[in-house]
Amino acid sequence: MGRADFTYDFPHDRLITVNDLNPLDIQILFERAEHWHAINQSPDKKHDALKGLTQINLFFEPSTRTLASFELAGKRLGADVVNFSASNSSTKKGETLADTARTLAAMHPDLIVVRHNASGAANFIYRETGIATINAGDGMHSHPTQGLLDLFALSQRIGDVGGKRVLIVGDILHSRVARSDVGMLNLLGAEIRLCAPPTLLPIDVDRWGAEIFHDLDDALDGCDAVITLRLQKERMASALIPSTREYFHFWGLTTRRMEFAKPDCVVMHPGPMNRNVEIESTLADDADRSLILDQVEAGVAIRMAVLEQLGLRARQNARSGL
Amino acid sequence: MTAITIQNARIVDPATGRDELGSLQVENGLIADIGEGIAQDGHHIIDANGAILAPALIDLRAAIEPAFTPGGETLDSLARAAISSGVGTIVISPTAIMPIDQPETVTGLRSSTLPLPVRTLICAGATTGLQGKNLSEVGLMATSGAAMVSQGNFPIADTAALRNLLSYASGFELWVACPPRDTGLACGTVATESEAAARFGLNVEPTVSERMAIDRDATLAELTGARLMIDRVSTRDGVEAISRARKRGIEISATASIANLTLNAVDADGLDPAYRLTPPLRSEHDRRALVAAIESGLIDAVVSDHHPLDLDQKAQPFADAAPGSTSIETLLAAMLGLVHEEELDLVSALRPLTSGPAELLGLPQGRLEEGAPADLVLIDGDAPWVFDAKESASARKNSAWHNRRFQGRVLMTMVDGGIVYNLKG
Repeated sequence: MGRADFTYDFPHDRLITVNDLNPLDIQILFERAEHWHAINQSPDKKHDALKGLTQINLFFEPSTRTLASFELAGKRLGADVVNFSASNSSTKKGETLADTARTLAAMHPDLIVVRHNASGAANFIYRETGIATINAGDGMHSHPTQGLLDLFALSQRIGDVGGKRVLIVGDILHSRVARSDVGMLNLLGAEIRLCAPPTLLPIDVDRWGAEIFHDLDDALDGCDAVITLRLQKERMASALIPSTREYFHFWGLTTRRMEFAKPDCVVMHPGPMNRNVEIESTLADDADRSLILDQVEAGVAIRMAVLEQLGLRARQNARSGL
Repeated sequence: MTAITIQNARIVDPATGRDELGSLQVENGLIADIGEGIAQDGHHIIDANGAILAPALIDLRAAIEPAFTPGGETLDSLARAAISSGVGTIVISPTAIMPIDQPETVTGLRSSTLPLPVRTLICAGATTGLQGKNLSEVGLMATSGAAMVSQGNFPIADTAALRNLLSYASGFELWVACPPRDTGLACGTVATESEAAARFGLNVEPTVSERMAIDRDATLAELTGARLMIDRVSTRDGVEAISRARKRGIEISATASIANLTLNAVDADGLDPAYRLTPPLRSEHDRRALVAAIESGLIDAVVSDHHPLDLDQKAQPFADAAPGSTSIETLLAAMLGLVHEEELDLVSALRPLTSGPAELLGLPQGRLEEGAPADLVLIDGDAPWVFDAKESASARKNSAWHNRRFQGRVLMTMVDGGIVYNLKG
């Protein structure tokens, strides 16, 4: 049964993790993202879907692409967008996150996009304010729009990812991107592989529905897509790998290694990249294989789709007095 | 290449338990045949006259000194000492002054071992400088040819660091050798806690230090799935801890040093700095527990723990003397002493020196079977001799066995089918 056969509205009033979504939700978001993706390539990018709504981007961690992506997405949809970043926020003056949340809520924003270094922060903001919250990355927990955009960009290139073999390689332990990508891949029925040194794998990884590898050449065998992750040195409390040269030798993705994968296997990276640490510089720049810039482009479209759905919902709720 | 037949030998193979008279034929560096009357025309024939023919020994722990150390032990001097004791494979272990913690060092050492008469493997330092904090480039060193990694004489105090190490090394399926000592209890100690040591006023380590360390390390091995090697168990407490871990299904291995297996604290009673060792000599009660653990197979390998030192470092009061003894040259003779004392049978005594360590490292040598490398030792099991450290092939003379009487001597050592040592020259 297709979506045309019955009525289904996007039911969520927040986006904390991709695990809250079902395949139908994803289908709605991808369809809308496709629409915005096309519009974003035209000279007339402005729309008024979110006209009158206020979007606050609350970023406690440094970010370039995600912040710019959410800001552009909101502005192109006609929302009033305000950015708060950690460097000039009142949390530096000792304010608790709860007080920050309530203070912002008093200004009546309709959408809050939040990035924070603590797992659970986005959900905390939602519980404190009741405002439509989009998690733009909370600690090592979740980054749902990244998961959505990765899979959107991938399916744009290779079609339905159901049954396709997708490998995620790198610092999975510290990666909210990996957790979100795995969630999405599971929802879409892909065959998931994970490859990392044992020190960079979470202890519960055997329950993620993925096949685990330590040897990258073995892991690459027959893959349709590879997602490499950034080595997150800032999150490492102790030395979990000996050196970047050893890391690159065993877990760095190279053009030569790609011979173990399928011939048309594509390469992805959520950015920012450490060139020649997790990915060979020339491979990252190989336009035939690399989807890295497609991911960035898809990011704006996906965020427009998410903001649109949550904005519509917020408007509805306001009208019905919820 | 001419085939060599060694006939009229007492063929002892711990891998299979074989102990019988017969002949063994060597061809192209391999054992070609084992049986009776296999000599053929054109063979070079060695008459063993009933001497013991066993696999050449494998020593998992021997140290050298850094290159250009004045009077220092080199790969060459160590190899010459080794072959006179029937050792055909040596594992070079990291020390404080030579931590072997970079792939470049492993590669350099490996290229230096090529001309040696023995097979030489490298045990790399598991953490940088053996400091127990930062992982060394374990994977690159394995790629460069390191056979295993070790913490040398330095246990890791930080449990999280040990977990990282075990977890990381498990991805390369490498053995990680850790000395079983509680860093707090062992710090600054020079002897085992005992009445005698108390009388002498030494800083002492209780034997539970070893038990606590093994319990902790084995628990982390279970958590990480790592291959943990208990590097020189020396007490009954330690043996019992290993036994408990094995019963819980944790796949750890264990070694013991020839010193702890054949000497006890009474030997050091005169506070002779030659007996200042790490681990320290233990009670007779502990020593017997080690012998029993050899017999039961709980200890996989016996190591020489050969540790060359300048005699100046030993010319100090017991507590101030540097710990360690040269020991590779007396390794086999000391072990045979346990056979003469009827503490062990010959097969049980040779197993942790041959097939035991071979199985740990997955080596093809260390056994007598057709197709195996012809690494052999011919032993006169009864010949009496006295070890004089001054006559040693080793560059250093700091032996705890100096002037000791032994019964059982190596007549010939063969590595890769070539005779590398012959007692008669």
